[in-house]
Amino acid sequence: MVVALALSACTRHQVGPARTFDDYERKSRTTAEDALSSVETVQLLATTAAQGDAFGPYTNVSISEQEDSLADVVGDYGSIQPPDAHADELRAQLDALLSSATDHVAAVRIAARRGTLAGLDQVAAPLAADSDALNAFLESLK
Amino acid sequence: MKKVLGVALGVLTAIGGFVDMGDLVANAATGARFDMNLAWVVIVGVFGIIVYAEMSGRVAALCGRPVFDLVRERLGARFGMANMLASFFINFLTLTAEIAGVALAISLASSVNYFFIIPVVAVLVWLVCWRMPFQLMERVFGLLGLCLLVFAVAVWKIGPDWNTLFSATAHPHVPGSENVFTYAYFGIALFGAAMTPYEVFFFSSGAVEDGWTKKDLGENKINVLIGFPLGAALSLAIMACAHLVLAPRHIIVEQLSQVALPVASAVGRLGLAIVLIGIFAATFGAALETSLSAGYVVAQYLGWPWGKRGSPREATRFHVVVLMSIAAAALFGLTGVDPVKVTEYSIVLSAAALPLTYFPILVIANDPRYMGPDHTNGRFLNAIATVYLVILVVVAIATIPLMIITKGGS
Repeated sequence: MVVALALSACTRHQVGPARTFDDYERKSRTTAEDALSSVETVQLLATTAAQGDAFGPYTNVSISEQEDSLADVVGDYGSIQPPDAHADELRAQLDALLSSATDHVAAVRIAARRGTLAGLDQVAAPLAADSDALNAFLESLK
Repeated sequence: MKKVLGVALGVLTAIGGFVDMGDLVANAATGARFDMNLAWVVIVGVFGIIVYAEMSGRVAALCGRPVFDLVRERLGARFGMANMLASFFINFLTLTAEIAGVALAISLASSVNYFFIIPVVAVLVWLVCWRMPFQLMERVFGLLGLCLLVFAVAVWKIGPDWNTLFSATAHPHVPGSENVFTYAYFGIALFGAAMTPYEVFFFSSGAVEDGWTKKDLGENKINVLIGFPLGAALSLAIMACAHLVLAPRHIIVEQLSQVALPVASAVGRLGLAIVLIGIFAATFGAALETSLSAGYVVAQYLGWPWGKRGSPREATRFHVVVLMSIAAAALFGLTGVDPVKVTEYSIVLSAAALPLTYFPILVIANDPRYMGPDHTNGRFLNAIATVYLVILVVVAIATIPLMIITKGGS
């Protein structure tokens, strides 16, 4: 049983249902934290690459990984059924933040793959606002 | 002079070979999430591995047989079978993680999707296991693993407030944003990474492969007493990098690329190139060790000829197990499992099985029939080893409940 559990647990982002608002809020928090991590990682990658401190393949692969990770997080969150109207509001709020972050991370990935590493920090600049918004969202849940 | 050079090379190999995929992920993940509040676990873990690796090296040097070879004989077929099955499964997860780690390191340097690289890595690992002499294999990858010292350079370049850093390390606490269960779970992961069972199988089997005798007991002690603590210092440097660069940005380590990011940020392109070589060498070296350990565990339990001393024809079943393990691990890696998750679960489950590995070593190291009257453990060493055995049992009991309570540390 331990073997089966261990092997099945090695897949990406397992998500369970949210039966109460508290449960949904907890999942929203985890989602926002994961998204914030991806946003901050891409920002740091963009700054590092723009300063000439990281080479192209590393930057491309790392940004793509974060984009995939963010897409998984968004997909998982979208699959959770909000239990009540209050949860609907929370979902709408976080969806908007995730959507903005996803667009901006995609823009950084496109620029990185085109080889424009020198100006990558400029392309990644809108991610600072995404990061602030996600931090504010997390604060509001405390 | 030749002897001194040999000892120095052994120590350097021990430092470079200390870190593997589990250490890279566990140290970076805990540094980013818990700052330096779990650094003490690395120190506790390295003392544990020093105590037991020295013992297993001594057993191998005096008996000319590795520990696993003696487990069935000394503790019976049933205990040996349970030990073999648990060790083989955990070793399999670790091998999957290491092969994926090598593929990820190559992917980060080349932009080629790591799924395409996994089969190539599997073939390379098998070829090296098959063809390369044991000591050369051990030293090439151990010494290349020293590239990871760039993490220490990165910490120095970041220029932290050293007093604050040391104070944070010396005064651990559960951070406000975490609960005691996740703190304990990550502590267990770090402990499991430091005391991974395959290290002992490989260390004692390697001692036999290298033809150690009573004369090599001094070298065994030096390798363990100097090499392992310096390897642990390297682990702490990885943790410090994550604490200084990733934690302030709320970055959660879920990819191997994030482990290298603080080095790129602090040291630049050259640092990034060096750290990727280091990650490649550390994971490739560990993939070799875990591949061979799979063969050691099975062949030694079943009493088959084993090892790389002779030609593969003399140990065919051993080499078949090695080959099948590499193939199965590569196939498992290709199913799309998350390599970092595999790494995390392998080190946590290692922790759950630690007593199975370390208890027999303690028993055999105290048995004068194997060790002779002058080389059994002294009272002091037995006291320390017993304390560690109690810790190992507590850790083993707590692991699965903590895994369930924390939902795998999430």
